Amino acid sequence: MKFRTIGAVCALGLGLATAAVAEYPERPINMVIPYGAGGATDISARTIAEPLGNAVGSPLVMANVTGAGGATGSVAVQNARADGYTMLFARVGSHSVNPAMKATLPYTLDDFRFVTVYEINPVACAVSPSSGITSMDDLIAKVAEGGVTYSSSGVGSLLHIAAVMVLSEFGVEEPLTQTTHIPQKGGGAAATAVLNGTATFLCTNSSALAGFVANKQLVPLMVTTPDPVPGFDAPTAADLGKPALHQLVGWTGIAGPDDLPDDVADKWGAWMAEATADADFLEKMTSRGSVIELMDPVKANEFIEGQYNTFRKLVDDLGMRIEG
Amino acid sequence: MSFLDSIAAGLSVVGNIEAFLALFVGVAIGVVGGAIPGMSATMAVALTLPFTFAMQPITGILLLLGVYKGGIFGGSIPAILIKTPGTPASSATILDGYPMAEKGEAGRALGMALWASCTADVISNLALILFAGWLASFALSFGPPEFFTLILFSLTIIAGVSGKSLLRGALSALLGLLLATIGLDLVYGTNRFTFGDPNMMGGLNFIAVLIGLFAIPEILAMVWHPTAHVGTARSLGKNWVTFADYRRSFKSIVRGSFIGVFLGSIPGIGAAPSAFLSYSEARRTSKNKENFGKGEVEGVAASEAGNNGVAGATLIPLLALGVPGDVITAIIIGAFMIHGLQPGPMMFILNVDIIYGLFIGLIVSSVFLFVIGSVAIRGFKYVADVPKRILIPGVLVLCIYGVFAVNNNIFDVGVMFVMGWVGFMMVRYRIPAAPFLIAFILGPLLEDNFRQSMLMSGSDPAILFRGPITWFFWGLTVLTVVAIVRAGVRAVRGVSLIEK
Repeated sequence: MKFRTIGAVCALGLGLATAAVAEYPERPINMVIPYGAGGATDISARTIAEPLGNAVGSPLVMANVTGAGGATGSVAVQNARADGYTMLFARVGSHSVNPAMKATLPYTLDDFRFVTVYEINPVACAVSPSSGITSMDDLIAKVAEGGVTYSSSGVGSLLHIAAVMVLSEFGVEEPLTQTTHIPQKGGGAAATAVLNGTATFLCTNSSALAGFVANKQLVPLMVTTPDPVPGFDAPTAADLGKPALHQLVGWTGIAGPDDLPDDVADKWGAWMAEATADADFLEKMTSRGSVIELMDPVKANEFIEGQYNTFRKLVDDLGMRIEG
Repeated sequence: MSFLDSIAAGLSVVGNIEAFLALFVGVAIGVVGGAIPGMSATMAVALTLPFTFAMQPITGILLLLGVYKGGIFGGSIPAILIKTPGTPASSATILDGYPMAEKGEAGRALGMALWASCTADVISNLALILFAGWLASFALSFGPPEFFTLILFSLTIIAGVSGKSLLRGALSALLGLLLATIGLDLVYGTNRFTFGDPNMMGGLNFIAVLIGLFAIPEILAMVWHPTAHVGTARSLGKNWVTFADYRRSFKSIVRGSFIGVFLGSIPGIGAAPSAFLSYSEARRTSKNKENFGKGEVEGVAASEAGNNGVAGATLIPLLALGVPGDVITAIIIGAFMIHGLQPGPMMFILNVDIIYGLFIGLIVSSVFLFVIGSVAIRGFKYVADVPKRILIPGVLVLCIYGVFAVNNNIFDVGVMFVMGWVGFMMVRYRIPAAPFLIAFILGPLLEDNFRQSMLMSGSDPAILFRGPITWFFWGLTVLTVVAIVRAGVRAVRGVSLIEK
């Protein structure tokens, strides 16, 4: 009996010793993708998984936990242990638009610690060619006439706030009453709504529109980045004199729970630097219209906070916050 | 470029061993994946996607299409054998497939499922090749008001799957509609019936509800009466579908295929409503109406034709418009984009070789499906011979694993068990489960499209009567409701006459 106890104590001590010595990561890391397979976040996550897995040296287990505009998956990571073995692919919708718009969201930005933002997606606005609208000025003139609608992939999505922010920047005083929001289920449905005339325009990631623009099914009116987007024959926000719209971009990043230790965050910074330098990864991402821009943990947090505050101010000014 | 040139260009991209091998492997993966409860066709496609990144574009896409087609058929195998639909699309197959297995006709049901699936697959592929442009422009004329009237009409299916008591069917449908309201409100983004639980914000998981409603009550019934099945020999399935069966069901299969093509070409509906609509149409026009729901081979044929008819047709909006029709085609569109291809009208001009390569691959996939399906049935049908006391615990394990794997969320497993008890009580009080399921699928579509229509028109209901398509469906709905009421009145009179 005594011998056994001693043995157990020894084993325990040994176990602790190895735990202290062993380097993070000593087992596979769970990566939660809060959106469905085939979506922008999923494709981005699965594209970086390969170079990232090589950099980490330990397998990455990718799991889609979907539902409620990314909230279900985000909550799963918010409640996980902050040991760096459960991380989240955070996205503009789940981590800056949603927190800015929804009072009922079960998490806030402070519940997460971002270790990186690695991808920026320019936002473009587009209309159907049959609408006769060819420029932002045409669109704004139409708004004054009334009856203009815009589609989105749901309440609290990037598409939702993007349309409102663009209208507001172009001098539409009350976007909520002068135009009508027609939410759809998903980004594909949102584009279809503009194609078949259900809605007048939409603003979304340029990569989601690239196919329709190349096929001349949709006409781009503007892009929100300072630089032109290849394939989009449309003025930039800078050309139109609306630099405030530069804030309006999509992004993908990686986050852990808020009490993630510093050494883990630092490791992620180094891994991401290595992964995003991968030539194959760069080529795949840029061919889909993404801009690869690596931010370290500090810069990523600043960037997201900045975007969140912009959106939050717009939401509060217009009274768009969802309380129920 | 002439038609022959296009075909030659297509052959030049698919005319290699890898492309056909990928297609063959894809169908095989799909059939096995679809046959595992909970591992739906969607998941099988999603899991295969990363493997296609490194392949040639056409090879990768054919692999995914193979998985998709195989998965939709594979789902019918557990639906027939263990009353657990492998994919949502095969839930209609349960209605007659499982009673057939209970009667010892598992082999016949599976054989009919395969023949109907392959026939529908061929019709669907031909529709894609011949009428893609026309069907796509038709699909684009479907806005929310048209959608609303179509879904309203589809709700009349409930009368067709309610069994003896329409009232019980309506009760079941009401319950389904009620549970479908859980989650985020589409227009306001507010929480509905979530009780503050973030897990409920996404609504109840469809697969969890589906498996809970159909498979778990069987397991609970087994626990209740462990020896109830003893003596009712379920012995198998050496029997095989005959050509006479096929000929008798042929009309239903063709009708189901066209329903599938029609619904598949409209983005946003999916295979499950199509299967139910095809089933209820087959029942309505059949001479053996009474036998539907008790193991009618034509019922299996109609459901399987309905869901496989969708498979080729969902590629119509994908290729012709660049619009994904459902979750699976959304994943496939992702695969196109990864390879730098942009589906849409221009693809028919810029990438004729790929388009025709896909067409050739699709035609071949029907043959592969037939071959692999036959082999799979030969293997799987002996499941019907496994004694229930061994089979049922195995099914339970598969259900739990499958439901967890859908979304990596243990909450869904809880939903499955709660729905299992609901389903068990429904069986005990002879409330049919199928209307619940139809309402659960169609309810949100009905509500969303109604509210979108109202947003479009500024709450003017006249928009629901715009254009000929809405009038067509209003007319169909009225006709069907009148027919149901008349049949109901006649049935009541008939009963009272007999009583006298």
